[in-house]
Amino acid sequence: MNPTPDTTAGNGFDPREAAALLDQTRRQARRQFEPAQPWLLAIRAVLVLATLGTVWLSVRGQHPYQGPRASALLIVAAFVIINYTATVAVRARATAGVSGKSRFTPAEITILAAAWIAPYVVMVALGVTRDSQSGYLLTVPLIVAGLAFAALMAGRADWRQCGIGLAVAVTGAAGAAAGQAGAWAVTGIGLCLTLLGSAAVIAWQLHRA
Amino acid sequence: MTTGDLDPLIHVPTRLKIVATLAALPDGDTLSFTRLQDMIGLTPGNLIIHLRKLEEADYINSTKTSNGTVSITTVALTGHGRAALGTYTQALRNLLDGL
Repeated sequence: MNPTPDTTAGNGFDPREAAALLDQTRRQARRQFEPAQPWLLAIRAVLVLATLGTVWLSVRGQHPYQGPRASALLIVAAFVIINYTATVAVRARATAGVSGKSRFTPAEITILAAAWIAPYVVMVALGVTRDSQSGYLLTVPLIVAGLAFAALMAGRADWRQCGIGLAVAVTGAAGAAAGQAGAWAVTGIGLCLTLLGSAAVIAWQLHRA
Repeated sequence: MTTGDLDPLIHVPTRLKIVATLAALPDGDTLSFTRLQDMIGLTPGNLIIHLRKLEEADYINSTKTSNGTVSITTVALTGHGRAALGTYTQALRNLLDGL
């Protein structure tokens, strides 16, 4: 059997061009495989601060605290849906065709979903549903989901993502400690900083060779 | 050090792009042929020729799976391939430092 002729032998391939091509290819590939794009994280940071900050502005003068109006909660819900949809879409595009450790396993997806849903189920069962306790409905799920995410990422030795999970959990805890009204402001600022920090780290990692 | 010291299998623009792209994935991850073709910008036939050369040298592994109706080929860099790319990168660096 005749061997496949190598008609593209690199005899005339200048080493400087090779170095430039290697560098460019590495950066492009890392960027295309990265499920969390810095620009999207930065936009989410601004939006989460604006959304939760708006809610805080609407409740900060309440004495006693009564919670945000339904219209404000609708805005929060819309942000959550848009954020989730955009995140899933960008992640799906980045991981298209990729199989292996990069993909979440069905078990991991189940754990993460449960980490978000279970706190609400438990709080409803305990009667934590009054508007005057709405701060807990914001902060407690962040603590639980943040810790669950951090634990899963630690299991994968993905320390960047583990740090994000811990930052979200700390934000939730700080929000819970800030009181019902303060929870909205503290959580908004904490999540904004977490997202911006993550964007900065990813941008730096994508930029280096 | 001269250009002749560079791994001739990797020191080809297309194969350098293939190896560098696959190296961006974590160890153990695979990439579909279609996605790789899309990222490299080659025709399927051209890509197959280069992948075959890399696989003959054990730089990559390719696996074909089928779910009955659709057949999917996935490609991954082997440990040998990662080491080869590392050696190539260092040799390239040494060569350029000496120029």
